[in-house]
Amino acid sequence: MFSLALMNGIVIGVIYALSALGVSLIVGIMNVVNFAHGELYILAGYFSFLFADALGWNIYISMAAAVGLVFLFGILIEYTLIRPTYGDDMYSLILTFILSIVLQNAYLFIFGPYPNKPPGWVKGATNVFGQFYYGNQRLAALVAGVVVIAAVFIMLKKTWFGKIIRATSQDREMAELNGVNTKWLNMYSFGLGCALAGAAGVILAPVFPVTPTSGVPIALTAFVVVVLGGMGSMWGCIVGGLTLGLVENFGAAFVSSGYKHVFGFIILILVLAIRPVGLFGRRES
Amino acid sequence: MKDKPFYTILILIAGLFCFLPLFLDDYNLHVVILCLFYVMMASSWNLLAGYTGQVSFAHAAFAGIGAYTTGILSAKLGINPWIGVTLGILVAGVLGLAVGVLCLRMGGIYLSLTTLGFSEILHIIITNEYEITRGTMGLQVPGLVADYTKSAYFYIFLAGAVVTLVILYKLIHSNVGLNFRAVQNDERAAASLGVNVVRVRVLAFTVSSALAGLAGGLYGHYLLLVTPEIPSLNLQFLVLSMTVIGGMGSFVGPIIGAFALEVLSEYIRAYGEYHVLVFGLVALLMARFFPKGLVGIIKRR
Repeated sequence: MFSLALMNGIVIGVIYALSALGVSLIVGIMNVVNFAHGELYILAGYFSFLFADALGWNIYISMAAAVGLVFLFGILIEYTLIRPTYGDDMYSLILTFILSIVLQNAYLFIFGPYPNKPPGWVKGATNVFGQFYYGNQRLAALVAGVVVIAAVFIMLKKTWFGKIIRATSQDREMAELNGVNTKWLNMYSFGLGCALAGAAGVILAPVFPVTPTSGVPIALTAFVVVVLGGMGSMWGCIVGGLTLGLVENFGAAFVSSGYKHVFGFIILILVLAIRPVGLFGRRES
Repeated sequence: MKDKPFYTILILIAGLFCFLPLFLDDYNLHVVILCLFYVMMASSWNLLAGYTGQVSFAHAAFAGIGAYTTGILSAKLGINPWIGVTLGILVAGVLGLAVGVLCLRMGGIYLSLTTLGFSEILHIIITNEYEITRGTMGLQVPGLVADYTKSAYFYIFLAGAVVTLVILYKLIHSNVGLNFRAVQNDERAAASLGVNVVRVRVLAFTVSSALAGLAGGLYGHYLLLVTPEIPSLNLQFLVLSMTVIGGMGSFVGPIIGAFALEVLSEYIRAYGEYHVLVFGLVALLMARFFPKGLVGIIKRR
């Protein structure tokens, strides 16, 4: 029981971290919280299901195509909805909230209320450390999540694009003065943030099937992770994601499974009461 | 003060409304009652979003708290529903104060995220504590009046809406209301002139939550059934759309929005589930192209 909860916690924690990275990236650069994050996560799940199941594509190609499409969709959202609201954080909240409801209902219209599940990548189960049998698909999701997170970190630390992202989230005006085209950067980093939601979606969809509203708890948890880790902090997402994944699964295993998602919010409330900037946050100047 | 025209208009319109039960059948009266409920919800949400610039996603949740407080008290303990509604307002106000104190220090995004989380927690608690709330089945509650007639409820909701609007008007046009505006326009400038920014926001949040509790309590006793649909993100979305479409930050905006959307939704009810999608698209387009809402369009002419 203990080791199973630990394993479940780590797997789901990595996915939380991944989807929180997307939120955090956008918050860090644009100071915008994308409330439609969960719906983009679901969108990628639906796309991968559609390509792999209905069109019969190879599952890996379907996943890549799904993430790519969500990236483009993110760019479109930024261009049409977010760009006119620069400087008015509140208005972007309202717009993305409305967008999330629109998308949920559009999914309901197109795909119906039934759970959809793209085919798994691997079959069977593995005996983990002689403790219990664990689904290979979940192990694969864990590995894929870690790989994507590592790729994001390498991109942020080693590439030119990562450098301007870090520069802009530290000090927007200085970055502009040094020749960063922040409008362009906003568009691509918003797309990238959405693509990370999409990546989490395609990785988790074979384990937890997608329904029109199943993105809501994932997005809410991602928001909690972002506040817990500190707005805009990348390491905060990793630590926060794993913490939340573990707390939820231990809570579900040992306290009450119905209240699984409440444990995360209790942490959120504690953080807000004790250290509002989060674990790795820096105080606003 | 410019109070006079407001009260004249309010009394005039409320007076005209008083005659409605003479002309309308039960169905149309029901639509007007729903309109009045949405007027209460949207106007009180507007106090927060339109006048202090804080977006709360827990307004429907506070209505739910009002509804469940009076519902549980009157259905399980047999307490008079009117006392129940009053206690519902109090509980919603106190919880609003607690949430406000907790996250308004950080303001902005933190409030939006926490209120979203709060409404989700409430939803989970209500569905899980089946013994007390009867979960998604809904809790049957007694009515507010001895013999249930639509026209009696119509007058109750009319009174509720008038009380809500008068409280909001008084508040907005007092010194406190000036502080609201100041905080919204420029937080730092307001703080430098001695406005306690956090206290102003907490006050707005508390009043707005208490008024949502009132609306929710009355609504529960009108439907005679309190379900998790009241503290849902769907209701939150409706209230937000009404405010945005009507005109956020203007006094009449949410009133116009509430009537416009509720009447519209009766016409497109034939499309069943998809009327939320239509609402969403309309709200999205309005919010994007006419941020001042219907009121803004009228004023521009």
